[in-house]
Amino acid sequence: MARARAEALHVAPSSTPIVMIGLAVAAMLLMAFLNVAKSGNLLNETNLLYASLIFYSGAGALYLGFGVTGAESYVKFASLATWAGLLANTGAVAHRWYEAGHPPFASIYEMLLSFVWTLAVLTLIAEKRFGVKVIGTVTMPVAIVGVVLMQLLRTEVHPLVPALQSTWLHVHVTLAMLAYAACALSFALAMMFLIKDKVETQTFLAATSLCTAGIYLAVLTRFEKGGGLNVVGWNAEQKSEMFMTKGMRLYVTIPDLGWLMLLVLAAVTVPLALYALARWKKNEAFLAVANRAVFLSLLLQVLATAFFVLRAKDGQYGSLDAEGLFATSLAASPFILSGLVGGVFLSLMYLLLLWRRTDLERLLPDSDALDRITYKTIAIAFPLLTLMIAAGAYWANRTWGSYWSWDPKETWAAITWLVYAGYLHMRITRGWRGRRAAYFAILGFAVVMFTFFGVTYLLPGLHAYA
Amino acid sequence: MASTLHTAGSKIWQTLASIKTGVVLLILTVIVAAAGTVILQRPNTEADEMQAAYSPQILRLLDATRLTDVYHAWWFVLLLFLVSCSIIAASIERFPNAWRFYSRPYKRPDESFRKALRVQALVPVRDEDEGLAAAERTLKASGLKPETLIGFEHASLFAEKNRMAEMAVFIVHTSLLLIFLGGIVDALFAWHSSIDLTQGQQSAQLQLKSGAVKTLPFAIRCDAAGRENYPDGSPKKWWSKLAVVENGRDVLTKEITVNDPLVYQGVRFYQSSFGSNGKVEKLTLNAHPNQGADLTKPVAMGQGETVAIDADTTVQFAQFIPDYVVSDGQVYTRSAQAENPAAHLIVTSLKTGKRVNVWIPPIEGFDQTSESPYRFDVQDLKMGYFTGLQVSHEPGQWAVWGGVLLMGVGLGFVFYLSHVRFWVMPVRDARGHTQLWVGGMANRNRDAFEQRFGDVVEKIKLELEAGAADVEQEVSALAGD
Repeated sequence: MARARAEALHVAPSSTPIVMIGLAVAAMLLMAFLNVAKSGNLLNETNLLYASLIFYSGAGALYLGFGVTGAESYVKFASLATWAGLLANTGAVAHRWYEAGHPPFASIYEMLLSFVWTLAVLTLIAEKRFGVKVIGTVTMPVAIVGVVLMQLLRTEVHPLVPALQSTWLHVHVTLAMLAYAACALSFALAMMFLIKDKVETQTFLAATSLCTAGIYLAVLTRFEKGGGLNVVGWNAEQKSEMFMTKGMRLYVTIPDLGWLMLLVLAAVTVPLALYALARWKKNEAFLAVANRAVFLSLLLQVLATAFFVLRAKDGQYGSLDAEGLFATSLAASPFILSGLVGGVFLSLMYLLLLWRRTDLERLLPDSDALDRITYKTIAIAFPLLTLMIAAGAYWANRTWGSYWSWDPKETWAAITWLVYAGYLHMRITRGWRGRRAAYFAILGFAVVMFTFFGVTYLLPGLHAYA
Repeated sequence: MASTLHTAGSKIWQTLASIKTGVVLLILTVIVAAAGTVILQRPNTEADEMQAAYSPQILRLLDATRLTDVYHAWWFVLLLFLVSCSIIAASIERFPNAWRFYSRPYKRPDESFRKALRVQALVPVRDEDEGLAAAERTLKASGLKPETLIGFEHASLFAEKNRMAEMAVFIVHTSLLLIFLGGIVDALFAWHSSIDLTQGQQSAQLQLKSGAVKTLPFAIRCDAAGRENYPDGSPKKWWSKLAVVENGRDVLTKEITVNDPLVYQGVRFYQSSFGSNGKVEKLTLNAHPNQGADLTKPVAMGQGETVAIDADTTVQFAQFIPDYVVSDGQVYTRSAQAENPAAHLIVTSLKTGKRVNVWIPPIEGFDQTSESPYRFDVQDLKMGYFTGLQVSHEPGQWAVWGGVLLMGVGLGFVFYLSHVRFWVMPVRDARGHTQLWVGGMANRNRDAFEQRFGDVVEKIKLELEAGAADVEQEVSALAGD
């Protein structure tokens, strides 16, 4: 069924979808413009962000179209749309910077803004300079997710508390964003290498299922007896998380959401179990079922994400720690939200691979080139990581009187650095190439993700700001 | 015996220097460091929080294995020491070769080298000198400085760039060791402390985090402190005017803010917090006589002070309750923050000796304003503040920063400098024709180098053609004469 649909897409003349996407973008822009014209304020941050969302969506659709059909003509328009989105995004960054009086790195929202910007720049560089045209198929959806998250997390300009007023902080966070974006790119390239290198589709099935299961396990660390899910309370007046005492967040329990998450966890483990069964019994038939299970789990994940958004968006919930009802907001749980959206995205990517693998392979540069570019991006990321840690240490030294205090975030940054150092040593002195190097690059990015999300979400520490 | 010792020693050395050992040690370090972020650590956690998180047996086990303070445990330090040793051994093991390579560059390629080199080309020439001259011009034009080597049979050319790149790895490893050295020095000699000073207070004694008391050879005094707020009330800036007092003289004064410490003799004073100390610096009141003419008298006093209002009456600022609450017939304070302040004044008549308690605000059951000759209203309440300072002494940090800078340079060399070499040598082919053998090598970014190499060879050919055309012109010019 799915294959038939994709086949139909393949047959369609390639210019029609471009025109349609172009028309859709134009229509949305027109509608947005009419809306804005009424309010009279054209070039503010919200509008710019909205424009970049429209353009990135157009670009994402076109890149996806390229990914599916392989028609070169898509890419030209896709990068055009990316340029336009980048322009609007730059405007939003500049506006935020001007309004806040400091570079936009102080909150999750501002960091997402900068991250998406970096990602768009790197996509264009990878496309123009290294000819990896299909990269937008991966990075643009990430950018779209980023912008959508920003719409949900939108916060007012927050004044900076004294500890954050430092040039060194800005240097530190800029470097972190650049380094992490480069790591993300190296991950995408390593994945493409594995696709090109004929790693079996079922291996990707196992990996994606494992990742989504990991996400839901992490979310379920907030499971509460009786089926609730604990999220941080949100103080709407101060636009900040609620605290019981200094450093102790106040958790509110959203009833029944825990059961739903548990159900989805079960659903995403099914493909994994089926995969294991297929390996054990050496029976391919299980894999076909597993693929259907992925599709099913994707639907459930979308459902869970929607429910989470609806219930966490606003509303009053009880807390186990204090009497009374407390408000919460999506802005209080950016990590759960990113995790859920990331899970949906992962499953989608797997299904894309499952259905259109041959076309994808045809479009990718040869595996040697991918291997080399992966190394090159890591060669960019590693010095950036080094400088990021150094700038952070220097800032900590000026603020807390110690350049290294073994705070979990610091420790994990050091671990990330060590993992990439390991990659470089294995590659340079041991001549690791190809799959082993690609797996290592993927491991590196997994550690980056843990440092960025996992540490803040799961481990306590000083880095309460990000 | 000596030889077995020798072999054992060299075996240990080989093991230490091997990349496998290095990787195993790094993996161990990663695992242990990660464990330290998962298990609650004593330096960052309150004792009762630890007890709440783990059962007594497990806590005892964790404490015994030092897993509750991983980063200061002897085995973690040992692990880092072994990592350092491994880096040193690996570097020493590889250094002589690299140094030979660096200090005595290979300039004249012999036959086997010429055969084995991956990137090479042959350019037919009419004569050796002409070919070499053309190659020299081309290399010069591409930004290199070719060097002519006079050989036994014929001259040859050698040109290179960025030889430093060959040593870059050692620069990086040295920088890492420098950072470790700084860390070790600080692990042994650094101390951290925090101190709260109120305005005008001076101190040379510091309570260290380890519990010991440290006396500095100088004292630190806080002359003023304050905070600035954003319109929404969140803090924007905390500052303190500090003075360093040595032998009774002020030797250094500075206004510090959160990201800008004061440094004296390697001791750093950081602004870390700021708050009310729950004490009043000055209370300004207006006193109105309860009887007779309404003659308002201003009164200002600090806590505990007594001030005369008229010839007969004095008022004493007896008590200040920053955050008052009444219960069981007593006035208590809930916190040290001036959230809900109350002042207790005692108005005394000298003649009669009558003492009247006045509370602002008038707390029922305590306040006796009706019996007092004066009523009071508050004009201003100036709270006393303390400034919270972090104090640290980290003598190893200069090694750390030096190491960081060196590492920046080293990594720049490792990733972005390519040691590029060209050799040019005239050779004869099987039929005795003279040819120019051109070889090239780069230690990274080989694809780009191959392209560059191809360009250089093309340019040599063009130079040769141009030279040939010149000669022809000359010949024809001569013939024309």
